[in-house]
Amino acid sequence: MKTRVHIIDNISGKPVEAELFDEVTVEHFIETQQEWRPIVLKAARQLAARGSHQLIPQHFHWDWTAKAPELKVLANAFYGVRYENKLQGLMKLETVGQFCTCRLPEQAGKALIYVDYVEVAPWNLKALMSALGEKPRYNVIGSRLIEAAVLRSKEEDCKGRIGLHSLPMTESFYIKACGMTPVGRDPAKQNLLWLEHTPEQADKFLTGAR
Amino acid sequence: MKFNSDPEWLKRQAALEDNCFVSVGGLVSAVEDLEEQTQRATASRTAFVSLLNLTRREHKLTWEQFSQKLDVDLAELIEIENDETYKPTPRTVTKIAHFLHVPPEKLFVLSGLARAHDRQFQEAALRFAARSQPVKALSSEEHEALKEYVKFLCER
Amino acid sequence: MADKRTMTLNLTDQEMSLLEELSARKDVSKTALLRQALRLYQMVEARLSRGEKLFFEDEEKKKAELMVV
Repeated sequence: MKTRVHIIDNISGKPVEAELFDEVTVEHFIETQQEWRPIVLKAARQLAARGSHQLIPQHFHWDWTAKAPELKVLANAFYGVRYENKLQGLMKLETVGQFCTCRLPEQAGKALIYVDYVEVAPWNLKALMSALGEKPRYNVIGSRLIEAAVLRSKEEDCKGRIGLHSLPMTESFYIKACGMTPVGRDPAKQNLLWLEHTPEQADKFLTGAR
Repeated sequence: MKFNSDPEWLKRQAALEDNCFVSVGGLVSAVEDLEEQTQRATASRTAFVSLLNLTRREHKLTWEQFSQKLDVDLAELIEIENDETYKPTPRTVTKIAHFLHVPPEKLFVLSGLARAHDRQFQEAALRFAARSQPVKALSSEEHEALKEYVKFLCER
Repeated sequence: MADKRTMTLNLTDQEMSLLEELSARKDVSKTALLRQALRLYQMVEARLSRGEKLFFEDEEKKKAELMVV
């Protein structure tokens, strides 16, 4: 699947047409190691040198290539966003597994799609680019990936329900920008905050209804 | 999948996402994990170089002839052989994989481009590297080791 | 998603009841549930074939290995 989605070019302030696709390969993972990781590490070192430890990205040494064996597992779905011939964002979903069950009391026990990993290219993140004295390049990548997760949930008959564990510094994105409900801290996953969409919240996010 | 194309939605999401950090995934693991990964990567890399070397000798090729057969730069093949910190390009590794008829993703791990997730894979790499010695003629044991290892890479 | 192919599935009464109960509990169609079950099976098989083991853990943190045929 390849489809055109608009993202924002922060330099012009205008929408541009990127490509959202699901045929993610190990070459894309290698690209994240070669293109993203050095910038993330450089920004992390700058932040550490300034004593801004609370801003150091909590995913600074993730390695997507470790997920290569998971590409062949049908339970997993991967999505990427590409623009100007560069990977701008990557996401891994689980359509079945230990976290694919709702915990919000009003939908407890029902199936959801689990957002296992999301990463946006470092040059698109304000916090990292500020550390390097630069401006972030593109916007709305994260929203497009979460949009893909909700649409996939509908395709899987999960009614748009998604769930995820948020890193502490990203909680506000999922609550404010995606309209997800924080449910509680999960001791089974490093006490990270568990958030969910109900079908109504999912539709609201997709349509932008207030 | 039908994505939202409303410019107002895009503008609103841009404003909401602007100052946010976007990622999902576990918290970073300890620094010690990174060091352990480095050691395992060295062992895999040795197996990769042995695999290249034995394959070239199996086909009775010089490095120059081998680079032509593979359609890769001779300079790069020499870097791979001599510099254990050198990371080959994905294109080169894919060409080698096609020549050997093994899945490229297996060689991405061996060459250090991708991270291994699998203890069995790493142990097999170590055993293969240990069985291959740098002598001129391919001994029957090395021939067997090479044959078995290529079979292993194809089967998993 | 990829193009789909159709198959007919014969189930016993018990199996059909189970399928109906689980799909109601999960709020997904019976087809969606069976597709999830197939993927779960593959996921477990892939990890078992790499030498990993599958355990259930009870509230007292006691582990019991699950045998998968």
